[in-house]
Amino acid sequence: MTDSTPVSYWRTVFEVARKDLRIELRSKQVLNTAAVFALLVVIIFAFSFARTFANIDVVASGALWVAFVFAGTFSVSQSVAVEEADAGLDSLLLVPVDRSAIYVGKVVSNTAFTAAVAVITLGCIIVFLDFTVLPSTTPLLLLVIALAAFGFAATGVLIATITARARLSDLLLPLLLVPLVIPVLLAGVELTRAISEGLPLWRWFRLLLAYDGVLFLIGIALFEYVVER
Amino acid sequence: MGTISVDGVTRRLGSTTALRDVSFTVDSGEHVGLFGPNGAGKTSLMQLLSTLASPDDGRIRIDGDDVTPDATAVRAKLGVVSHRPMVYGTLTARENLRLHARLRTVDTARVERVLEDVNLRTHASTRVADFSHGMTKRLSIARAVLHDPTVLLLDEPYAGLDQRSAMDLQRILTRFDDRTVVIATHDLERAVDDCDRALVLVDGTLERTVSLTDRDRHSFETAYLEAVGRSELQ
Repeated sequence: MTDSTPVSYWRTVFEVARKDLRIELRSKQVLNTAAVFALLVVIIFAFSFARTFANIDVVASGALWVAFVFAGTFSVSQSVAVEEADAGLDSLLLVPVDRSAIYVGKVVSNTAFTAAVAVITLGCIIVFLDFTVLPSTTPLLLLVIALAAFGFAATGVLIATITARARLSDLLLPLLLVPLVIPVLLAGVELTRAISEGLPLWRWFRLLLAYDGVLFLIGIALFEYVVER
Repeated sequence: MGTISVDGVTRRLGSTTALRDVSFTVDSGEHVGLFGPNGAGKTSLMQLLSTLASPDDGRIRIDGDDVTPDATAVRAKLGVVSHRPMVYGTLTARENLRLHARLRTVDTARVERVLEDVNLRTHASTRVADFSHGMTKRLSIARAVLHDPTVLLLDEPYAGLDQRSAMDLQRILTRFDDRTVVIATHDLERAVDDCDRALVLVDGTLERTVSLTDRDRHSFETAYLEAVGRSELQ
């Protein structure tokens, strides 16, 4: 028998995230579906609200975060469904490492998926809603998207794992998840508006950072119990 | 290396008691079969042994490490084959094994050797979603033995396989004869060939222990039918 070296926590995080990204790059299930959906949301907003609202930034911000919440929900749902399909998650649970590493890895990959779709949505908004993003504010807007995607993924992976084995899991997930991520959406909408209008940001940034930190720590603490049979 | 001690284990699933005060030991290198009708508690017991669930009462130790508080240490010693494949269909056979090699800090060169062992070298670059049931099962065994575990837990390894695939699988499993093996199965004939001892579970209780060292299938069938209270095999 071989003596294997102890399994590193961060290596597990990296490998789980890399595995998810590889599966997604091959199947393109999340990115294709969510990107088409994001495009539809933006077009609907462009034709329905853009003519009635004087401030196009408000419409653009709404479109961005509506597309974000649907893309994020689809992303975490698919990500956990892949694990359940052939009991792939069980094979990860048998790795001799703290199980929260699996959770952290899935949060990393889902943050990447959700943020990528949000960036695609942002591109659609710039094209279809004539939304202006100044070069000086672009890094700030991308930071908001990244932080919001992280908070969404931290909550979404935990809730999707809880509901994955339930009957009507596809219905349960948005019902449980969307109310829990309202602080992320509020902060996202307000920060997008504040960035485009040059208003103070700190209050909403603080909320987003606090939400991300608290939900991520709760996820780390609870994941072991959530995956136990 | 590879001793298992199950002491007074009870497992409840809601209002149902899946296992009731089950106790037994498995010696290093011994091959033990778990038998019983559907719902007898075989899969529940396998989940407890594999640390995917925890007992409500009692203790399970593997080489002295308790599966609940010392789960991480126990997992390093286990290779688990479930009735579900535990691999990713979108990835190729090689990618699945390399993922587990990196997760368990096993030399990736071993991946090729293990693929050879389970006769999947020529299909290493094929996506698992395109595999037959038998090939997926062989890959599942490759994943389970990749880190050279001292204990192999096999839950229904022959389920859904045709005769030829089952024989192939049985031949492959003989390569890992030096490990401690616990195998849950309905296949009495193969189990008599594979196992040194049979544990018969009925309604969550360990009803009988039967030695199989004489490889006498008929006497085992008689003992099994007596234990489960039936007159013939179904």
